Amino acid sequence: MTTPDCGPNCEETLNEIESFLDGEVDVTMHEQIQVHLSDCNPCMQRAEFRRHVKVVIRAKCTGDDVPAALEHRIRALLAEPPAAP
Amino acid sequence: MAQTTAADDPILRERFERDVLPLLPSLYAAALRMTRNPADAEDVVQDTYLRAYRGFAGFQEGTNLKAWLYRILTNSYINTYRKKQREPQTVEGPDDLDEWYLYDRLGGRNVELSAETEVLDRIPDQAVKDALESLPENFRLPVLLADVEGFSYKEIADIMDTPIGTVMSRLHRGRKALQKALWDTAKERGLVDDDDA
Repeated sequence: MTTPDCGPNCEETLNEIESFLDGEVDVTMHEQIQVHLSDCNPCMQRAEFRRHVKVVIRAKCTGDDVPAALEHRIRALLAEPPAAP
Repeated sequence: MAQTTAADDPILRERFERDVLPLLPSLYAAALRMTRNPADAEDVVQDTYLRAYRGFAGFQEGTNLKAWLYRILTNSYINTYRKKQREPQTVEGPDDLDEWYLYDRLGGRNVELSAETEVLDRIPDQAVKDALESLPENFRLPVLLADVEGFSYKEIADIMDTPIGTVMSRLHRGRKALQKALWDTAKERGLVDDDDA
């Protein structure tokens, strides 16, 4: 089911794709982009790729082990009254 | 009478332990991406917890605790750590890169999408961290806050005390630079054929 002439074209869609994937476009634009993506495989592939890049960055840039000494120092902070301001 | 602090108030202290301590792993990871150095990251996180603990009475329950803490973290990083380093504040960015740099190189032509995304999955975690950390600070922070921490543009603007338009443009440029860094690391590791010259 296509909706020619009433949704954004490829260029408009790709211009907004970053904001779209960030959840930063308004409801109308969001809907228009979704309609276009469901009709346009090249744009859908690009959108899915960019979504995956975000997922990979999020998954791989976390999970650093907190040094035990740091956690210990922070817990100790809670055991003592803070220094006078 | 002196201002109430979390230390004087058992309920506040309990709330701090319950809500703020569990964020230590993500705050520490973010500090590592900011400082790119474990010793400095520890200092920044410890300073953040100290400031947050002292200021916790002033934090309104029900508002955005995570954004409040990341604002303190970012300020702590900027105020205490950045002074020490000589890194010039990069304002110019990698503007000559195409937005689809990585997509175009990883295939995007006839290859199945899954083949392109599998290359990204195979890049080791540390290499992705290094790629993010290789970005100039002005671009690294928005990408970190948006893509790793999931903050909105408005939240990032508040955290960094920067206009939202600046956040958006730095985020856009930072992501382009990160795509190039990811491509470079994939190439170095032999995960892709180096035939794009």
